[in-house]
Amino acid sequence: MSEIAEQARVVAATNAAGAPPTAELHVDGLRVSVEGKPILDGVDLRVPVGQVHVLMGPNGSGKSTLAYSLMGHPKYQVTGGAASFDGQDLLALTPDRRAKLGLFLSFQNPIAIPGVTTVNFLRAALRAQGKELPAREFIARLGEEMTALRMDASFRSRYINDGFSGGEKKRAETLQLAMLEPRLAILDEPDSGLDVDALRIVADGVLRIMEKSEGRMGVLLITHYYRILENLTPDRVHIMHQGRIVDSGGPELAHLIEREGYDPYTTATSPPGTEVSRP
Amino acid sequence: MAEAATATGVVCRETLDARVAGSPAWLADRRTAAWDAFSAMPAPSSSRDEDWRRTDIAKLHLDRFAAAGTPARELVELAQSRHATALPGAALVLCGPDGGVTVENAESLLAQGVIVSSLEEAAERHPDLVQRGLSGIGIGESYFVAMWNALWRGGVFIHVPAGMQAVAPVWIAHLAAGDEQASFPATLVVLDDHASLTLVEDLVGPADPAPRLSVAVTAFQLGEDARLDDIPVQQLPPETWHFSTRRANCGTSAHYRLFGATLGARLQKAYWDVILEGRGSEADVFAVCFADAHQHIDHQSLQLHRGPDTRSNLLLKVAARDHAQSVYGGLIDVLPGAIHADGYVVNRNLLLSQGASASGVPRLEIKANDVRCGHGTTVGHVDDEERFYLMARGIPADDAERLVVRGYFADVLDRVPLETTREWLLALVDAEIGDGGGGGLDADEVAP
Repeated sequence: MSEIAEQARVVAATNAAGAPPTAELHVDGLRVSVEGKPILDGVDLRVPVGQVHVLMGPNGSGKSTLAYSLMGHPKYQVTGGAASFDGQDLLALTPDRRAKLGLFLSFQNPIAIPGVTTVNFLRAALRAQGKELPAREFIARLGEEMTALRMDASFRSRYINDGFSGGEKKRAETLQLAMLEPRLAILDEPDSGLDVDALRIVADGVLRIMEKSEGRMGVLLITHYYRILENLTPDRVHIMHQGRIVDSGGPELAHLIEREGYDPYTTATSPPGTEVSRP
Repeated sequence: MAEAATATGVVCRETLDARVAGSPAWLADRRTAAWDAFSAMPAPSSSRDEDWRRTDIAKLHLDRFAAAGTPARELVELAQSRHATALPGAALVLCGPDGGVTVENAESLLAQGVIVSSLEEAAERHPDLVQRGLSGIGIGESYFVAMWNALWRGGVFIHVPAGMQAVAPVWIAHLAAGDEQASFPATLVVLDDHASLTLVEDLVGPADPAPRLSVAVTAFQLGEDARLDDIPVQQLPPETWHFSTRRANCGTSAHYRLFGATLGARLQKAYWDVILEGRGSEADVFAVCFADAHQHIDHQSLQLHRGPDTRSNLLLKVAARDHAQSVYGGLIDVLPGAIHADGYVVNRNLLLSQGASASGVPRLEIKANDVRCGHGTTVGHVDDEERFYLMARGIPADDAERLVVRGYFADVLDRVPLETTREWLLALVDAEIGDGGGGGLDADEVAP
């Protein structure tokens, strides 16, 4: 996608929303340690609402650490830098306050909470975020979203993530994304472990939510695979290596990775060919 | 009946004399024998008695508790509203700590030939049945049972004749005594062969912090192929000393099911015994316990397999917060005749605060061949990942914890067979945990 097309999209979003979608995720020089071990070594990133940004990188490069840190997992200690969304300092907020501000994290492997049904979980989350719907409307919307994600009605009364297959977990995460309508969705490998059909359902789901948001939602998509990008065209692609963003570019960067892997980044001290640009 | 009011409290010879004077001869003898046994027995001691090792009652001074008076109007209304909310179709038996018993809404049961009356009245009118009901309770088997045998009053007696399925459940409300008073709740149920009944026993009191004493016995006799669903709820006032024995004797192919909730009292020592006498008899015991503040809650269970082909299963799930302590001891005892016995006991504990503690000691004693028995106990905390997951969805930490606790209890509470009672229990447990994340989350509310 060219810069012009990107701009046009933002303008269209602005018009639809009636107000400029100025909210943006700012990450500046973020440093994070886990159990004393430094993982993020100065991450800089901008993700404006209305855009899809993709974060790629080899295993262990710090992608998930960034996702968890932005959501406020207590295990991840921020040792330097800053992160804000819509002008608000994220690092000062507990995870629930971050969610209320509009952040959402789709977990790579969400934990089961036995005894808490998917329906009750969603209602509790909506209520906590001040987005509670009347019961009838809630059920209608839930039904719609579940149909779109091809989820069986029995999911409603199943305990959240309890005994879910890998694919069911990804759909359940996407269902939550649809119901909670965040302003910034961080999707941590929503495509891992999925077959082609399941991948398309999840990717279509995210795309649909994105379109429905009319430019009010930004996406930071963490993935290893090019495949999901056939469904979800990114505005920007960022490459992470050893705890830093080492390259950023348009969708063509993802093509390059698909063809050549991360070798150009992992074997050289500076990335070849492309110039290092900041998002 | 005039209660002896003396400086030594209600647990005294004068009270016994008054009880004996108001009892038929056979019962008077039983009371006197029980008093003699009680008088000769030392109070349980945490240094002497193995099953009291973790529950210290050295600070219990019996002489502090006077005879109970008439229950306050508000307490009667509270008990009635619980019945009206949870199971309005059930017959309601209101048992005051002063021995006053009223039976309401029982016409359909009485028309069936079911007896629902005060135990005192039944002791006069149906001595054989009441003696059968008491046959599983030893006169002097323990300190508190002996005390109860001597001093119980009022009480409830239920008899379902052979082949009869009680057309309505029975809701028994045992009202707590007043400030610094004692109550002796009594429930006896006799189910003849092929009879069935659903019972709720609600131990209810006000939330005020005055000390009270409660010494209770609940005994069930299940005939051949009899079915009993037993739903005991203990929500006594927060400074109550509560000692109870609950025992089901099961005949051939009988099936006893308990769905319990232990929520109240300052200190509880409860014995839950299932005696599987008859071939093929079965017992399922599922219970939740939520303890907070300085509560000390002790459950002791016995699954006694006497008959062959008997089966028992017990699951007790405890959550403890603040400085609460849970103590659990459970024994599966398989006697030599109980071939093919199948017994299982599990105690799970969830600790919600640094200061809370739990100990669970399930044991097996197997004296028969070809049996299948198992036990387990766990102690855990709310998982950080669970808490983070819920918080990442916008749910504040406290509410996240409540949601996890409620979820933890769900596999017990979901089994409660009566829908309105199940919802009422969920609401009771939610209120104990604290209002918040759990409130108004019933799936049925949003069912299409």
